Amino acid sequence: MTEQPEVPPEPVAHDLPKDAAHRLEELEHGLFTSDLSVNEFLLVKEAGFHPLGFVMGSSIYHIGIQTRKWGESQELTKLTEAMYTARELAMNRMEEEAEQLGADGVVGVRLDVNYYEWGNDSAEFIAFGTAVKAEDGTSYRNALGKPFTSDLSGQDFWTLMQTGHVPQALVMGTCVFHIAHRKLTQALGSMGQNVELPNFTQALYEARELAMTRMQDEAGRLNASGIVGVRLEEKSHQWGSHTIEFLALGTAVTKGSGEVTLPKPITIISLDN
Amino acid sequence: MTDGTAGAADKAGDTGDTGVTGVAGAGPPADLPEAAVRRLESTAFSSGLSVPDFAACLDLGLQPVALVQGFCVMQWGWYGQGSGYMRGMSPYVGGPQVAGSYSETYRCPHGFVSNEHRSWGQNLEQPWVEDAWAQGYGSAYQRMLEEATAHGAHGVIGVVDRVSSIADTGTTEFHFLGTAVTVDDGPTPAGGVPWSTYLAGQRLTKSIEAGFMPVAVVAALASVRVWAYCMTEYLMEGSMSWGSPTGPHLVEQVSKAHMAVRQLARKHVRQQLAGDELHGATIDVVARELSQGDEVIDCTLRGNRVRRFKDFDPVELPRPTVRLV
Amino acid sequence: MSTSFSPGTTPPADIRAEMLLGARSLATPAPPSEKRGITSDLSVDEALLLHAAGWEPLDLVCGVAVVSVPVGVWNWGRGAISLASDAHDQAVDQAAAQLRGECSKVHGHGVVGVRVEVSVRTHHVDVELVGTAVRPISGKDARGNDAAQAMPFVSDLSARDFTLLQRAGWMPVGLAFGASFVYAPRRTAGTAMKQTRQNVELTNYTEAMYSARESAMEKMQRSALHAGGQGVVEVKVTEGPMSFARHAVGFTAWGTAVRLVAEAHQFVQPQVVLPLDDAVVTFEAESLRGSESKGRRR
Repeated sequence: MTEQPEVPPEPVAHDLPKDAAHRLEELEHGLFTSDLSVNEFLLVKEAGFHPLGFVMGSSIYHIGIQTRKWGESQELTKLTEAMYTARELAMNRMEEEAEQLGADGVVGVRLDVNYYEWGNDSAEFIAFGTAVKAEDGTSYRNALGKPFTSDLSGQDFWTLMQTGHVPQALVMGTCVFHIAHRKLTQALGSMGQNVELPNFTQALYEARELAMTRMQDEAGRLNASGIVGVRLEEKSHQWGSHTIEFLALGTAVTKGSGEVTLPKPITIISLDN
Repeated sequence: MTDGTAGAADKAGDTGDTGVTGVAGAGPPADLPEAAVRRLESTAFSSGLSVPDFAACLDLGLQPVALVQGFCVMQWGWYGQGSGYMRGMSPYVGGPQVAGSYSETYRCPHGFVSNEHRSWGQNLEQPWVEDAWAQGYGSAYQRMLEEATAHGAHGVIGVVDRVSSIADTGTTEFHFLGTAVTVDDGPTPAGGVPWSTYLAGQRLTKSIEAGFMPVAVVAALASVRVWAYCMTEYLMEGSMSWGSPTGPHLVEQVSKAHMAVRQLARKHVRQQLAGDELHGATIDVVARELSQGDEVIDCTLRGNRVRRFKDFDPVELPRPTVRLV
Repeated sequence: MSTSFSPGTTPPADIRAEMLLGARSLATPAPPSEKRGITSDLSVDEALLLHAAGWEPLDLVCGVAVVSVPVGVWNWGRGAISLASDAHDQAVDQAAAQLRGECSKVHGHGVVGVRVEVSVRTHHVDVELVGTAVRPISGKDARGNDAAQAMPFVSDLSARDFTLLQRAGWMPVGLAFGASFVYAPRRTAGTAMKQTRQNVELTNYTEAMYSARESAMEKMQRSALHAGGQGVVEVKVTEGPMSFARHAVGFTAWGTAVRLVAEAHQFVQPQVVLPLDDAVVTFEAESLRGSESKGRRR
């Protein structure tokens, strides 16, 4: 079983399209753009950061073909690699854009996958976020010297900073797994019975563990003290129901000042929804 | 019948001078169906309110007395369809337009081309459609108020109105539903006509706290028929013809019709306000393409007519919020 | 919009008295009024918040524009479809101009809560903007200018966000729009064959889509700068193939351009709330009943 690439692929330096360069130059002249709501915008300001610009990265990736064995549960390493590399490419380009703006980090990162009718076996991987910079000039770059990334909303970002933690990077682990079809005789044998199907259990278990371990390895490389807001997504994309991608995503954080300055919350009950 | 104010039902149809009901085109005094009378005679109250809304209603000193409703089904005789040769003509009015209504004409710049060439076009308000709609809406509303009055109610809260076409029959159904309430120790509204509002629950409470008393739900329809002339036709259908521009071009006739229909809807509603305010307005526009760039644009505007009975109390300014969930 | 209360605070007892006061105001027929009624699509909460910030609603205002798209632009081609984005720009500009015109007519200083509807069809682009014209109660704006501004602001921010932003020293200046349309690139049959089994980035595809997206954003930025904005908040991005021309992809981006009008950003201490229920609350607003806590969750 191969791991996802140990070290993320090095981004090709300055491979951003021309239009991106134009747009970012404009942003350097003081205009900021952001998809943050007003509430989030004010909270980011409150946390001592200024939004610099809406940044993005994209990669249209052709996903190769790997033969699956009908009756065997296995990881499809080629697909795992494709899903990981494509996302990493999109993320790297987004970081590059942030870098060009001189940002300390990117908040509210979203990762999307688009399929187009005309793109057989290929998919577009996109990363969006808002680049921010500390207003007091402190550097918040992560252990790798790159702008931090996080999928936290403005509210969550402010709250995290109040707890004395700083985000490091959006970390992810993925695993594309093929789950065996059952042989006809097996299916007949268990017909009408309520039984656990140990090979299914084991396959799903293994796939999820793999995705999560890979995510933790990423966090480990950043010397993070933990990961917050982990989500585990499962998707069949366009491969049919027996091939599933397990994607674990979270924001790796490190302890900063350690001081918790969160004001005491006011409890409320909504009267309507 | 629950209390002495039931006698006010006699006056319910007479809305012209009360300044209370907001809807034009009062319907005829309705004979309620027997089933409705039987339901209304029951002593237990029914209400369409959710539990939080019910709680807020009691908090305000309002007692729900009944779930009330009103219907009206209107048939559309002539709705602006028809051939291009009839453009600008209404079967209900003598001339091409009613005095004071909206109309604009467009002349073809080409000169004589052929008999099929649309050498002139017109945007025309369809007052006969608007009036029929107001009549249907008003009658259904009146019937709901009559049910409420029959219960001695002072007002109707949480009103839901639905205007829907009955499939392919050329008819439209107007349906009102609301919860009739009495105000503890409250006076009978002027003319005995209950007040009404789309609001219920906390939103109603806030409206009262802010000093806005609901008067009536108010709605109006505006309808504009676009008889396309050649230029509009070319632009909307993308046909290539001499005189049609090569770049993007503002479709003036259609843009103007869209602006006009919205302005007319606001004008109709404002006529029903008599100096009161309209809150929480919603505007819905349906454009139906008929043929060759011709269309009928209907715009419905509705909202809560409210009357200021005291000045605003200051509220705290908002602050950015973080939810810990 | 929703309401909340903090356990332990009891509503004042006089709410019933207020209800009674309101009911009595309807017991006598209203005197005939020559006043031009105010119409607005604001809720009571929003009207109150606006009032607290020293502003008042005036009228519901609209702007609509229909702009034709020349024939044949959606057919197969290469690269950006500039005629379609020109039509889009012309339509949003025209609609915004109509909206500003209606706002000026009622002496408004700007329009808040604008609902934006843009639909791109085969032969035309339709844009509809609906919002509420507002002005400062004193009739003067922050800089003490008397008359309605020559260029009223337009913003899709809710009344709550408008007051929040104002409190922090910022003002909306206008809506910033950008759009770009692009033909999907093609691979030669030979390349496609070679790549069948490979994991490989399709660089020309990436480049085309990436550029189109950047170009929509850049146009939005330019329109924000043109309006005198220092930033754009709540940027919305839509993208996808056109339903009538599947080989063409459209990208649009829009948001409210804002400008710092105070000396510096005013810090506003955030409020932290802990909801005790599971209900998803989308909007919170102030009530008159003391200082209940409010929140907003996305």
